[in-house]
Amino acid sequence: MELKGYQRSGDLDALFTALADPTRRAILMRLADGEATVGELARPFAMSQPAISKHLKVLERAGLVSRDVDGPRRPARLNAAPMAEALAWITEFRRFWDDSFDLLDGLLAELQSKGDER
Amino acid sequence: MTDVNRYILERRFKAPPELVWEAWTNEKYQSRWYGPGVETVVHVNEPRAGGRWLVEMKGDGWSAFQRADYRTFEAPNRLVFLQSMTDADWNVIANPQMPDWPRVMHTDITFTATGDGQTDMRLVWTPHEATEAEVACFAGSIEMLGKGWGMGMDILDEILAELQA
Repeated sequence: MELKGYQRSGDLDALFTALADPTRRAILMRLADGEATVGELARPFAMSQPAISKHLKVLERAGLVSRDVDGPRRPARLNAAPMAEALAWITEFRRFWDDSFDLLDGLLAELQSKGDER
Repeated sequence: MTDVNRYILERRFKAPPELVWEAWTNEKYQSRWYGPGVETVVHVNEPRAGGRWLVEMKGDGWSAFQRADYRTFEAPNRLVFLQSMTDADWNVIANPQMPDWPRVMHTDITFTATGDGQTDMRLVWTPHEATEAEVACFAGSIEMLGKGWGMGMDILDEILAELQA
């Protein structure tokens, strides 16, 4: 996986803040299906367009959503890279240890059976 | 609430603490289990408080280096060390994949006999003398990894699955 320079602490804070809200998570899920305008995003929620815009700004700050700078529609697009990167590393770290301990289990079994023979 | 400033890993091994200790601290055994899928070479192992542990992990055409500095060495129940990634000269470096991951990790391990010949291991990681950025990165990652995260993980899984589809 390509790792880009998102890894600043402020970005991580923004990432977790962004993901902490159920509406914003729902917006992300909707954007996983493809880009959408504020109007389209507001429709399934009992929420005004300005309220949706506010959520989008939070998601944009976290780098999870990008929007075209101009044009009347300004559709929002999902950018899952920040989440994917953070998750990839911590998952790898955990897997390293879990897999090492699996090997250790095997080694211990072997050492014990040798000990029994003595 | 999950304490995001430390990460705890617990595991039960089917062997008494004496044997688990031996596997953890004897270089003859360390290279057998530490580092899955790579060839682990223990260059230096000084099994005592104040001793060093210098390790190279060799993959296909690459090497990664790590060091640990033993702080507490009380066989067979307690092992404490500071652990870092290093360059080939054993100088501490940042994690190339995750620059804000804590450079030095305080690792505190206790091995407790279960009474039926097994060992309960409890491993506690805390960032050591970490910068604010490192603490945030560590805390964020821990939070993301599991407990207390719930919904966040679910949506992450769904989104990642969609992106890979």
